[in-house]
Amino acid sequence: MNTLRARSPSIHIPFRLAQGFLFVLPTLLVLLVVLGFPIAVAIINSFSLPDGGWTLENYAKLPRDGRFRNSLVVTFTFVAGTVLLHLVVGFIIALALNTQVRGKRLFRVIAILPWTVPDVISGLIWRFMYNPTAGIINRLLFDWGLIHKHIEWLGDSDLALPSVIFADVWRGYPFVMLILLAGLQAIPRELYEAAKVDGASTVQEFRFITVPSMRGMILISVALDTIWQFRRFGLVFNMTAGGPGNVTEILSLYVYKQYFRYFNFEYAAAVAVVLAIIMLLLSLPYVRAMVRRLS
Amino acid sequence: MKRRLRPGLILAYLVLGLVLLYTITPFLWMIFTSLKSDKEAVTIPPTLWPKEPTLEAYIQILLWGNFPIWFLNSTIISLGTALLSTAIGSFAGYGFSRFSFRGRATLIGIILSSQMLPGVLLVGPYFKMLSTVELYNTYPGLILAFTAITLPFSTWMLKGFIDSVPEELDDAALIDGCTPLGAYLKVILPLIAPGMVATIIFAFLLAWGDLLWVLVLTSGEKMTTVTLGLTRLVTQFRIIWPQLMAGSMIGALPPLILYLLLQNYLVEGLTAGAVKE
Repeated sequence: MNTLRARSPSIHIPFRLAQGFLFVLPTLLVLLVVLGFPIAVAIINSFSLPDGGWTLENYAKLPRDGRFRNSLVVTFTFVAGTVLLHLVVGFIIALALNTQVRGKRLFRVIAILPWTVPDVISGLIWRFMYNPTAGIINRLLFDWGLIHKHIEWLGDSDLALPSVIFADVWRGYPFVMLILLAGLQAIPRELYEAAKVDGASTVQEFRFITVPSMRGMILISVALDTIWQFRRFGLVFNMTAGGPGNVTEILSLYVYKQYFRYFNFEYAAAVAVVLAIIMLLLSLPYVRAMVRRLS
Repeated sequence: MKRRLRPGLILAYLVLGLVLLYTITPFLWMIFTSLKSDKEAVTIPPTLWPKEPTLEAYIQILLWGNFPIWFLNSTIISLGTALLSTAIGSFAGYGFSRFSFRGRATLIGIILSSQMLPGVLLVGPYFKMLSTVELYNTYPGLILAFTAITLPFSTWMLKGFIDSVPEELDDAALIDGCTPLGAYLKVILPLIAPGMVATIIFAFLLAWGDLLWVLVLTSGEKMTTVTLGLTRLVTQFRIIWPQLMAGSMIGALPPLILYLLLQNYLVEGLTAGAVKE
């Protein structure tokens, strides 16, 4: 999409300066109102007392809040687990689709389907699939003789988070697969032919041609996926709502509950600001690279 | 040559077969459940496919429930958001694509970073803001809130499409006496129409799938969307799974159809740019 091309030096520079800014202005104004203002309010709130007045207490409380610490661990486990598995599953499928198999187009369309389902609805479907007595997963495992009693996938504190992650891998792998498939198809055939002439094995081809050629694509998909997974809300909300206990309580859920279940607006704002800072720091390299490419 | 490929190909089929199972099982489960009676859906052990298929669940939610209202609300809000953010964003996309001005890189950086913020940072302030200006639980309020998510993304997606149109085309229009706005409207806009449709659909999908904002910024049935309505059904004491899955089916259909449309438009938009290079 972003093609590199030499720009002819503009003849009417001062004219273009003002014009360009005018085109961008509406977006800037809207963003200032719908984004800038609420962000400012959130930051101010996070330094406020419920009855007005300034404080650092909302932030000072964070390290002592066991539920916040738990939520941090859950969030990082969830994000790391899903992003890694999206990448592994997506890459394997992309590789399999990049061979001479039949029915590639049809399979590609089918493989994209989970990604088109709103995560809220994915959560509902998987919740019922995991249902201990009426769900299909236990039923199939029974039939195949793999289990002998009902497993409480979402009710067991050891199984709940992995079960949620497994459901999200279903939801999220297609995006990574699409990007990586496009990347694979863009690798020049000559590279592989040259490697064959040199007697390279399949593993060597993968290690020395495929992976290096795909570095950019892998980084972009992982960066975007990481950000999206930090924001994930609807899927977990509908599968477990954070339970059992708090074992699946990702930070976005915790902030939501602090706001609208416990009505600690100031403390909720502080947790949200911390989450925002984590996400901005993590996305900094990506944003930098994109700015360099876009401008 | 052929002999070398074969084991790899078998492996590929094996992988794709497993993935196919993983991918379609949830869809089949949703469809089959939606065709079961309330009683059959909770029998132990569960039936795989409906023994006595019935459209009862669909009739229940479409005729007797509020589902049509939810669907209408989702459509109005998502369409409003998509049109608003694409309209505003396309001007910015043109500005960023064609002009160099002071602070351009900084602004691109800010707009990109704003996409990296968590929604929960904004919901609290929004709740208060919309209540203050009396837009809480209204279409305009929700559309404004969604625009905060979709506008940055629309802007730089459209910039990408405009980048693929050769600059000589609008230069020619400028020499012919067009204003930059005229050049944009008459030359660029028609050329990026497929890209605009793609952007509209993407923004639509973002808004359609959201739960967080509608959960926070609406109350009561009047403004309930599909995602919120289904979420309410699952938090009820007695969950009627066939109805829930029937609703999920219908709620998942517009994104699915739009995505299939989008696929062609995206390819068209991309190849159009590539051919002209």
